Amino acid sequence: MAGAVELVVSHPPSAVAAAPGQFFQLAVNAPHTILRRPYSAAWFDPAAGRIGFIFNVVGAGSAWLAALDEGDELDLLGPLGRGFDLDGKRSAICVAGGLGVAVFPGVVQALVARGRTVIVLQGARTSAQLLPAARFAGAEVQVATDDGSAGHHGSVVDLLANLLSRREQFPPPFTEGQGGGLDILTCGPTPMLTSLIDAARCQEIPLSAIQVALETPMGCGVGTCLGCAAPRAAGGYLLTCQDGPCARADQIEWEAMTDAFHG
Amino acid sequence: MPSMVERPDLTVELGRGLRLRSPVMVASGTFGYGFEAPQVDREALGAIVSKGTTLRAREGNAPIRIAETPSGMLNAIGLQNPGVDHVARVYAPQWATWDLPVIVNVAGDSVEEYVAVARRLDGVAGVAGLELNISCPNVQSGLQFGVDPAMAAEVTRAVRAATALPLIVKLTPNVTDIVAIARAVEDAGADAVSAINTYVGMSIDVRRRRPVVSSGSGGLSGPAIKPLALHAVWRVAAEVHIPVIGVGGIMTPNDALEFLLAGAAAVQLGTVNYIRPQAAAEIQDGIADYLVQHDLSDMSALPIRPMSVLTNV
Repeated sequence: MAGAVELVVSHPPSAVAAAPGQFFQLAVNAPHTILRRPYSAAWFDPAAGRIGFIFNVVGAGSAWLAALDEGDELDLLGPLGRGFDLDGKRSAICVAGGLGVAVFPGVVQALVARGRTVIVLQGARTSAQLLPAARFAGAEVQVATDDGSAGHHGSVVDLLANLLSRREQFPPPFTEGQGGGLDILTCGPTPMLTSLIDAARCQEIPLSAIQVALETPMGCGVGTCLGCAAPRAAGGYLLTCQDGPCARADQIEWEAMTDAFHG
Repeated sequence: MPSMVERPDLTVELGRGLRLRSPVMVASGTFGYGFEAPQVDREALGAIVSKGTTLRAREGNAPIRIAETPSGMLNAIGLQNPGVDHVARVYAPQWATWDLPVIVNVAGDSVEEYVAVARRLDGVAGVAGLELNISCPNVQSGLQFGVDPAMAAEVTRAVRAATALPLIVKLTPNVTDIVAIARAVEDAGADAVSAINTYVGMSIDVRRRRPVVSSGSGGLSGPAIKPLALHAVWRVAAEVHIPVIGVGGIMTPNDALEFLLAGAAAVQLGTVNYIRPQAAAEIQDGIADYLVQHDLSDMSALPIRPMSVLTNV
């Protein structure tokens, strides 16, 4: 995955304790930075006592993390927040936009381990920025690229809309129960998420069937600074660090979300 | 290895019987109501100052609320809090079981609101004192009280009359002469002052062509403001006779000692709580070690200038 960094941390207690979708606050020691950096774990290997993080270098903090050498020590706080709800037997569609894909290897691993049918829809600007399908063992993977260099030429949300429009053709459990018998798990830039919400509404998928891993600016990560607010459908704000990062899409006021975080 | 030296006396007095076992407090807004940060050892603290509390619950500002800046952070939370009634009914009874004073930070839009909040908390078990936030930079009218000596005195006097609790007034640095405000609230009956609240600042997202935080400006905290805060404490401590609590960018024992040597009776840790929850314990230990190393008997020996601080012990 061009440009992305994979950081492997050896910390057995976290590797055992963390659930897919939870995050860690990584301390960075770059000059003039101050806050920890929140990252969802990309994958877990409890047997080896390891956790992986996948991220792009976007500033001084991520650059500092990317420059760590093998054997260096890292100060991490976590696991924090709520992970995805992976219970149930319904088929799961994981929809990832850009670096939002980083949370999904561990999610897919856990879903497959539960015997669930998993489809991964991954979108990126170009093919070099896609995470290889091998990272999603046991799942069907479809890709979309903005430049058409791999898979569907267009948005990953197109792939989802296409799947949803044909869902009657699928065998059970796709067609069973509320939401057409499927769970949608997603993470990506806010414009992609709002477009996904629109597509789901068009297809009459209840927003409660969608779980989103929220990304907002974050201060403490433990609920004290109240900095990571996201607009709540019921009014007021939820805290990404405590009420999320993984939340049901019907909890979010999407119009206000777009206003705040539109890329 | 157990220390061979007896632990020095870190007790400090902040007036009206408010006695802390340690000079290390946690600043308002950086520790919630004391329940949110289980990784902080309450044993390591002298007192908790709660999130700013208003008469009615407030939702706070729309995102984006925070931004990192060089060696600091901006916040514009907008006083999100559950309202004083919830604090008095739900939180205070739990505080009453702790061996740690909890001081409620009080905010409002009018003298009447401050007074109503203070009155609701007066005599409530578990509430050890009040800190008047007359300096929150993130709500429309809160700042006005803190920038004018007459208005600062008026709200202090009104709250003083409404409660028997120890009363700390938190000063804003966004003024021409912080000493004039400090003197005014001292004369109006404050038992202590906290100096300082955040500096108003801003950050602009050049790609999106708009301020980073939704309210445009926010309060700057962290090491970026430490020299400014220290100077404010240095000036105020020389001019008032009530204890001064030093606040602003303290990250290390050395930082805390600078404030204590400048004349602060105690310190509050803020931004560091977000980053290193263990800092409070390290700073408390660092102060104790310093007293031992310099053969100082207690906290009152720390200020490097003769102080005229009178505590009503």
